[in-house]
Amino acid sequence: MKYILMCEGKNELTVLNLLLGHDKLIITPNELLGLVPYQARQLDKSPQILGMMNIYTEDVIIYRIGDKMTDELRIPKQIKKRVIREEKYCTLPELEILLIISEEKYNEYIKQKSKITPKKFAKMYIKCNRMRYDNSSLFYEKYYQDIDKLVQAIQQYSVLHKTHKKDEHYLIELLK
Amino acid sequence: MKLLKVIASGYKNCTEHFSIDFLARSKKTEEDKEYELLEIADQLYVFSTMAVIGKNASGKTSAIELLDCCYDILSKFRLEYLDFEFDGVKLEMYFYEEGYVYYYSTKLRKSAADEKKSIFTEQYLFRKKYFKSKTKEIFSEKGWERLVIDGELPEDISIVFFVLKTMKVREIYYGVQEDKDSGITKGFSMIKKLHFSDEVIKSILKIFDDKVDDLIQLDENKYLLIYQGQKKELTEKELEGILSSGTIKGLSLYLTAYASLKYGFDLLIDEIENHFHKSLVNNLLCLYKDKSVNKHNASLVFTTHYCEILDMFNRSDNIWITKSQDKVIAENMYEKYGLRSELSKSKKFYENAFGTGVDYEALMNLKELLMK
Repeated sequence: MKYILMCEGKNELTVLNLLLGHDKLIITPNELLGLVPYQARQLDKSPQILGMMNIYTEDVIIYRIGDKMTDELRIPKQIKKRVIREEKYCTLPELEILLIISEEKYNEYIKQKSKITPKKFAKMYIKCNRMRYDNSSLFYEKYYQDIDKLVQAIQQYSVLHKTHKKDEHYLIELLK
Repeated sequence: MKLLKVIASGYKNCTEHFSIDFLARSKKTEEDKEYELLEIADQLYVFSTMAVIGKNASGKTSAIELLDCCYDILSKFRLEYLDFEFDGVKLEMYFYEEGYVYYYSTKLRKSAADEKKSIFTEQYLFRKKYFKSKTKEIFSEKGWERLVIDGELPEDISIVFFVLKTMKVREIYYGVQEDKDSGITKGFSMIKKLHFSDEVIKSILKIFDDKVDDLIQLDENKYLLIYQGQKKELTEKELEGILSSGTIKGLSLYLTAYASLKYGFDLLIDEIENHFHKSLVNNLLCLYKDKSVNKHNASLVFTTHYCEILDMFNRSDNIWITKSQDKVIAENMYEKYGLRSELSKSKKFYENAFGTGVDYEALMNLKELLMK
């Protein structure tokens, strides 16, 4: 049995790669289909995952990483029987909330949350050295060079943000 | 250096201005940027994998051999051992190198000393600075500056030497006729040359034959094979008797793919399905699309008869369909047919959407003859 880590966007992929690279997850690369997480919103639009599923013929568990992920996961017929279950791991309302927490600006953001998205807030107020947040993966890599900073943000998020629905897991559940 | 486009006139039985290019032309999604495309300069995207498909005798091999010929000029700056009628062929190519896009054009002529060797005549070399705002105009006639060549070269050396300067492997081509017998020697000489660890050969051999535990080269013609736990000292000929031809072929080609991914040179394979099982083709495509593996922008270009392989492609602008009418033409699937990326390409092929179906009448004629 293997796990498929499906990251909704490039930045989720970067965050997962950082955690995997520093051995912070309960899953190791060896337990992942193809040894890596994937950037994919849907299985039927990801030849990369489907291609690997043609080679690996046993069961899989799918973990989707993203923000809301309201769209239902479409599982192609040919692999349906081999998907044991799928779980969603969310950072609401957007991944940038982790940067806001790391920056200790969570309360400040909450005051403005009806007017501004975490992405816009991060672009306005968050910098790493001289680099302003620009929605790039490079920024996440630089900002979370110290992996413990990222782990702390994920931990704090689960304390601060308690409004997940029943099927919305927290990233902290994937941490060791 | 990355090849961007090739145009040939007078080449084999291809149409005039026969052209193939590597530049992404349809919408680039975030997922495509992660898997299907390689960013060789700021917002300049080429394909991680590209396929040429068509029925038998449609010109697939001619297309891939044309690319090989251009890569030879860009790698070795010369053309030797040519086995097609090249006298008078005009080649034009665009390539990217360190912030500039180059246009090179030449007319090939037979060398008086060696008829399989070409000399380069009517050579022109232009360049323009690459700007991300002008990606769409990259092949347009605007903005070129002709390079003044300061120096002389022998007539069998191309002037692209003045730009690329060092001779190095920028591509390797695997034709259908690749000699399987030389697979082992070739594999080991590559390992030595590139200083790969023994683990590489061991792990590749395991893919093709799980009974092989290890293979070590003792000297030029002596090998130590550990096969199902038993050690055997063998010559190359004896080894060929034990390992299947598929294993030997696979070893050589997978080693080349390994080198291509490690060093970032492009790999061209004619009829990829002739070399491997479909799952291994699948795996090879996955490797070229995976940036955790393909860190140096290597591209895989292949020809195939098997349209199912194309379902591994999330785009359609990296698929070229060759057709032989009066002359061979190459059509870009996206440009010519506008196929949406999410549609099954193989299904469309079976529906004969690209006019590549096998001739039913011809098959039935043969069946009728057999029925008599």
